[in-house]
Amino acid sequence: MSTILFQALLNGIASGAVYGLIALGLSLQFGVMKIINFAHGSFLMIAMYIAVWATRSLGLHPLAVIIPVAAILFAAGYYIQRFMIEPIYRKEATREPIGVLIFTTGLWIFLDHLFLMIAGPDYQVMSGNWSNEIVLIGDLIFSLPQIAGFVIATLVTIGVIIYLGKTRSGRMIRATGQDREAASVLGIDSTHVYQLSFAIGLAVVGVAGCLLVPLYPVNPFVGDIFGLRAFIIVVLGGMGSIGGAFWGGIIIGILESVGAQFVPVSFAEALIFIVFLAVLYIRPAGLFGLERE
Amino acid sequence: MTMPSKLLFGGLGAVLVLGIPLVFSNPYSLSIVILVLLYAYLAYAWNLIGGIGGQLSLGHAAWFGVGAYTSTVLFIDFGLTPWIGMLAGAIIAGAIAAVIGLPCFRLRGAYFALATIAATMVLRIIVENTHGLLGGPRGLEVTLMRDAPLLFQHTRKEFYYAVAVVMVAAAFLINRAALHSRFGAYLTAIRNDQEAALALGVNVGRYKLMAYVLSAAMTAIGGTFYAQFVLFISPEKVFGVALSVQIAVVCIIGGRGTLWGPMLGATLLLLGEEAARRFTGGIVGADMLLYGLILMLVIAFEPRGLVAIFGRIAASLSRSNAKPSMEKNDGAA
Repeated sequence: MSTILFQALLNGIASGAVYGLIALGLSLQFGVMKIINFAHGSFLMIAMYIAVWATRSLGLHPLAVIIPVAAILFAAGYYIQRFMIEPIYRKEATREPIGVLIFTTGLWIFLDHLFLMIAGPDYQVMSGNWSNEIVLIGDLIFSLPQIAGFVIATLVTIGVIIYLGKTRSGRMIRATGQDREAASVLGIDSTHVYQLSFAIGLAVVGVAGCLLVPLYPVNPFVGDIFGLRAFIIVVLGGMGSIGGAFWGGIIIGILESVGAQFVPVSFAEALIFIVFLAVLYIRPAGLFGLERE
Repeated sequence: MTMPSKLLFGGLGAVLVLGIPLVFSNPYSLSIVILVLLYAYLAYAWNLIGGIGGQLSLGHAAWFGVGAYTSTVLFIDFGLTPWIGMLAGAIIAGAIAAVIGLPCFRLRGAYFALATIAATMVLRIIVENTHGLLGGPRGLEVTLMRDAPLLFQHTRKEFYYAVAVVMVAAAFLINRAALHSRFGAYLTAIRNDQEAALALGVNVGRYKLMAYVLSAAMTAIGGTFYAQFVLFISPEKVFGVALSVQIAVVCIIGGRGTLWGPMLGATLLLLGEEAARRFTGGIVGADMLLYGLILMLVIAFEPRGLVAIFGRIAASLSRSNAKPSMEKNDGAA
């Protein structure tokens, strides 16, 4: 394999891990509540803005803002679920509540245009020259944010998997996702679990936003691109599957990066959608999802 | 409805239709009325699959774009009148919808919504990358013909108003026929419970696909109308996610699956948008912010939309007329 292709492959894996992290939050929310949060990309956009503003005005290192941003989004998610989504969710008896889908579509448009009014349409970049620092490994070139993005995204994904598998509250989340009625019979407070899973979903997308912002400038509609991609990844990986989101992210990252070596960049984007439609058709449960129904 | 009241309603309707261009006589106001009618028409088209059929399509811009581009390309490159181009666009949109609909209807709810978004993106990317024939990302201009009604163009806005009225009336009648037919009953059954409909022997796939193809073809006609009215089309405008969302939102806010919802939704949303634009002095983003906010509020308080809210107000008014002083007006909630 030529060096250029190998570089493209590794670049794809690096950005794919971050894409996977964006999708992870979405997948968790779907897995537990069976709701689709169409405002997911907007929360990514907000995280990116907070990160840009914090590094600019407070002079913080881009990696130092990760935990505060995640905390802010966690809190936002906890209360958005409690006071906005929960009341609508309770009204709907169907398995896939369409009301929540429409509500979060409204939230998505609202947040995007709110930030258009606050921050203006122009792209904003992070201050400092951390983004430009590079590392050479043989013939291969990586930027520091790229490496940090891959490492942290992978660690956070592993962390969430361990949390869901080993801790008490993580198991409560999984139990509710598998069978809400049975879980509540066992004394699990589903309202609390929903709040927790929505909040974790947003905290994770907050981390992803901080990792993304040294690599991509932010504008009010940046979430549309990454949000849509996150949906595609979630479907590829299997709705609700956390590991699937990670691998789905890697696949999309490679497809985008290696595809761009052969076709114009905009066609590489079309390639992602076409693969997505093909997978939906052949395996609606996703590449890594369990066959249901 | 009894015969005299039918006549009364018909007369009122005729007065309204003929009176509007006299009241809104300046071209700008009449343009807004025309846009209200266009969105009402698009929402009626969406209502067939999204409302009555209950399949949340967030990709209707695809059909709008196919209609706009088909008639425009046929006109500027081949000299074919957009009246025929419009039908060609409708046929092409219907055909593509049938091809895309087959796999997409294996999906439900959110999966279906995502697939419609993705399919629209693919079409948009193809158009943006076809530079010669389709004009690439910069779009196409419709050749200016001035007063040429046979070429679907006129300098007077009243011409477009008349066409839009006919389109809305036709879409209204199609919706009414769909609601009052076996076809509509099947669609409603699918929306309410697809498994139950299947178990009762309803050919679920077939009826969903029929509604989708009809809806797509109608939306394409709206695209041609837009191209002829604005005389300029671009991928961002006619294939945009924003348009897809607007079409769905107008119908949802008015009342999904109802006969008057699309008209009501388009009237209140577009006039509200115009009012917001004047009130805020045209701050960029304020109009769409309002869309999002109204959508959230309607879903939170009355998911069935404005038709249901008006129904409740009317019911509480008639109750308070019957028993004055007993009831509070609870309909405004």
